[in-house]
Amino acid sequence: MTILVCIKQVPDVSAPISIRNGQLSTDTDRMVLNAYDASGVEEALVLTEAHGGQVDVVLIGPDKAKETIRKALAMGAEQGFHIVVEDAAGMDSESFASILAAFLKTRTYDAVFTGKQSQDSDAGLAGTMLAAKAGLPYAANAVGITSDGGGLMVKRQGDAGQEMIRLGFPCLVTCSNDMNNPRIPSLKGIMASKKKNVESIALADLSLDAAALAGKTRVTGYANVPARPAGRKFEADPADLAKQVVGLLLNEAKVI
Amino acid sequence: MLLVHIATSNGKIKKSSLEVLSHARSEAAKAGMPLGALVLDPDPGRYVAEISAYGPGRICTMADPIFASHLNQPVTQALKQALAHLKPKVVAFASTEAIKDILGALGSETGAAVLPDVATFALTASGVKATRPVMAAKILAETEATADLVLVSVRSGSYDAVESPGSPVVEAIPFQAGNLNVILKEILASAGGQVDLNEAQVVVAAGRGVKDDDAKRLVDELASVTGAAIGASRAVVETGMFPATAQIGQTGKVVSPTLYFAVGISGAIQHVAGMANSKVIVAINKDADAPIFHYATYGLVGDLYKILPPLIAELKAVYGR
Repeated sequence: MTILVCIKQVPDVSAPISIRNGQLSTDTDRMVLNAYDASGVEEALVLTEAHGGQVDVVLIGPDKAKETIRKALAMGAEQGFHIVVEDAAGMDSESFASILAAFLKTRTYDAVFTGKQSQDSDAGLAGTMLAAKAGLPYAANAVGITSDGGGLMVKRQGDAGQEMIRLGFPCLVTCSNDMNNPRIPSLKGIMASKKKNVESIALADLSLDAAALAGKTRVTGYANVPARPAGRKFEADPADLAKQVVGLLLNEAKVI
Repeated sequence: MLLVHIATSNGKIKKSSLEVLSHARSEAAKAGMPLGALVLDPDPGRYVAEISAYGPGRICTMADPIFASHLNQPVTQALKQALAHLKPKVVAFASTEAIKDILGALGSETGAAVLPDVATFALTASGVKATRPVMAAKILAETEATADLVLVSVRSGSYDAVESPGSPVVEAIPFQAGNLNVILKEILASAGGQVDLNEAQVVVAAGRGVKDDDAKRLVDELASVTGAAIGASRAVVETGMFPATAQIGQTGKVVSPTLYFAVGISGAIQHVAGMANSKVIVAINKDADAPIFHYATYGLVGDLYKILPPLIAELKAVYGR
């Protein structure tokens, strides 16, 4: 089984974030492998460990994003593809899906995995857009994947329950981070990753032009989330506490 | 036309769809644009009266047994057919898991611009502008889409559902079923609470502080007394104590009930992203410095095992059950 995992380098959203001169700025500038993509890499490795095959990864991003490809290779992926885009300004989910669709025309895989969303923009579009552009049947928001050799059985989180979806190869799955806990690369894995191949690809190599990839949506600015009105904190005997808060819910908040 | 997709589940319209329809009505009126509603269901006629109460000029129905359960391929096929027929400028959806499943594919297949999971939206001369929470809902991004067709999905609780009855034209659009290469084998029903989390007016959510069956029983009892849906943080879903369908947060459900009880939840940013829009938040945590207290309307510092029993008793007296 051959699986391509599409990965993205994103800012660490757990770090404090502020708006400076209209742009987002994190205190640490630490960039990480998108957590949902890491779950995709993990699940692909588990599947190929059980059924044989190979996991490759592809990333769109600037030169410095190569460290994120190395991370996936250290986890156990075999080959990295780096589609180098230094400045993605003006591009949106659709633009990235178009680039990945052009890349997929040059390679053949049984399955393509993506994260269900990226933890910075939380759009959750690129994966299913890629499926549509590549003509692949897909399942989104996977929390479990098994293979019967001819295809995948995907457990996806739906609105009211978990839906079991059967997909034949080739297909695409977008992965939830609730599926697994991605492995931490071992020292041996890190050493091995340094010898693994990362192929650098320019947009021109895919017969693409950055200007023609401009998205139909754009971010025009950022704002802070309005703060909730300050609340009150109580510490007292549990029976008094219960009486007091129920009184407030009844008479002040008027929600019960 | 501004078209609103109406989501249904088990014979009921989702409240989040009526919220979107209500806001769309005022946007369409401002822009002088006709307002339509579209419902896909095995028996969509049963919803026409309720949808009419929210004032669309036209209600379009697509009927097929396959819409009884969500599956991305037939839903995308149906929406493509409806859009080709109705030629709307903008289609608005409630941001359910079913819509998250198809929105990107539908956007690519129709050449639409897509604004997913927005907190607010407004029509502009050339498309739609919207605000979207990003960076684990710490920041709002102001976004804009310019295209002949814009798809926008709206987070639940962003607007109020307000009736404004009209006399709409009702039109049945035929559904041409296509070949399927995606198969729904089975739905594993959730073993969670009886109340739908997205629709609930009251939510009782459990976190890491809910350590054992005794604490879980207290959570269940609090939910039963207040008629609440039961939610959970990622930590207690991972331990298997609560079902994955109960997970609230950046990766789970986004809820905005009138009253939210956070029981033993520390308030990690990934959890807060899914509940910060709740009207009143009551937090119970023994750690006085827990981040959840920054969001709580009423923060109760103490042991949940000691606080919940009298709280349940007081609420029982109020609710009379």
